[in-house]
Amino acid sequence: MLRVDGLRKSYGPVRALRGVGFSLERGRITALLGENGAGKTTTLRIVLGFLAPDAGTIERAAGRVGYVPDQPAFFPWLRGRAILDLTRRSAGAGREEWEARVRDLSAALRFEAALLGRPPRTYSAGNAKKFAILQSLALEPDLLVADEPFATLDPPSVKRARDLIVAARDRGAAVLLSSHMLAEMTRMSDDFIVLRRGEVAARSGLTEFLERARPASAGEVEAAFLGLLQG
Amino acid sequence: MFEKDVFPLTARLAWLRLRGSRLAVAAAAALPVFLLALGLKESPSAALRVFLLFFPYLFLLASQDMSASEVYGGGLENVLFLDGRFRSYLWQKNLVLAAVGGTYACAVFLGLAAWGLGRGAFEPASVLQLGLGLLAGAYYIAAAGALGFVLRAGSNVVVLLLAQAAALIGLILSTTFRTGFVDHLAAGRFPDLGSRLLFAGLAAVFPNLIVARRLFRGGVVVLAGLVLALLIQRACLRRLELRK
Repeated sequence: MLRVDGLRKSYGPVRALRGVGFSLERGRITALLGENGAGKTTTLRIVLGFLAPDAGTIERAAGRVGYVPDQPAFFPWLRGRAILDLTRRSAGAGREEWEARVRDLSAALRFEAALLGRPPRTYSAGNAKKFAILQSLALEPDLLVADEPFATLDPPSVKRARDLIVAARDRGAAVLLSSHMLAEMTRMSDDFIVLRRGEVAARSGLTEFLERARPASAGEVEAAFLGLLQG
Repeated sequence: MFEKDVFPLTARLAWLRLRGSRLAVAAAAALPVFLLALGLKESPSAALRVFLLFFPYLFLLASQDMSASEVYGGGLENVLFLDGRFRSYLWQKNLVLAAVGGTYACAVFLGLAAWGLGRGAFEPASVLQLGLGLLAGAYYIAAAGALGFVLRAGSNVVVLLLAQAAALIGLILSTTFRTGFVDHLAAGRFPDLGSRLLFAGLAAVFPNLIVARRLFRGGVVVLAGLVLALLIQRACLRRLELRK
């Protein structure tokens, strides 16, 4: 679904990415892990076309793309319903089918329909995140990219969002997640990419990782991951 | 940079924004009422003259915050603008704002022209003035858009208005010791290079002037300014990235 090769990006003297490469398959969730400043967000933003790489290539199969930003921001003069309607029009989806999807997703995320009548800038951080998830998943994306999708969500909402992302994966979407919530990542991800100082430090499947780390408890899983992240 | 499939999104977003702007809606609603009152008190031709002088400002009003607030506000970091579509959106917005402003201006002009014709006081030359005014309006949008890439939100329009105020004050003050340029301006003829350059600078800052004085040669200066502003915008957009 997505092949990234040799991505390089600098911000002035800071080399954010130093030749990042990986590929994503349909029907798999890939977790992008790394400490702050490792290059995760830069990688995601280049993949999505918000940033231009200094070097490297991105090949993406045709299909719909969903994106959940770390800190969702929307045009302040638009109400939630208008944003969803613009998204529907852009995707060329039928009104009835779209509204059914929005209804189902709102119910699954416990996102109150009344909020759609207000501009998202008036939402709480948690509701803004739920709205971004709703907007992206309503597209039924073939590729879903999410930057800290669980940040600002309460624990029950984290579970609901996780279930929806897993459902998208089960429908055949390739999912690329960046998050610091290691417990969630190990629970739902099929593959792991660890970035360290702008380079891919490790890449493996969950089974492979667990076999190599041989953790005996949840605490050891976390410790093993932290060891991988810090090198 | 002009992706056809982005255009419906651009048109809808720009329209929603204009419709949601209380200032723009109030100005668009108040202008015909003011012109009607002026036409009744003075004459339809007086209302038309005032309209032709001031309507390019409607374009300037519409272009407030047209790039900076969106680029730095985070609204473009959305599934709607993936794969660099935000660049097409910002580029096409020039066209949409010009089309909306132009349609509105033409509608008001037609009303005033019909009123003037009914009273037998319509000057055909005002059609050319309308054309110059539309050019000035398009220039305002392009210039405000270009300024929007380097200035904070809202200040793009303020800077243009301040430049106009400075130009007018300079013009008024200059008449106390040197009337030459003002005379050339009144006559619409600029015999030497200095006065031509001064006129070009004035037309660039205050394009309404060429409409009011029917200085059709000044239209060339404004057209050049429009092209330059669009080129600057295009260069800024090509380099534009959405960073945190």
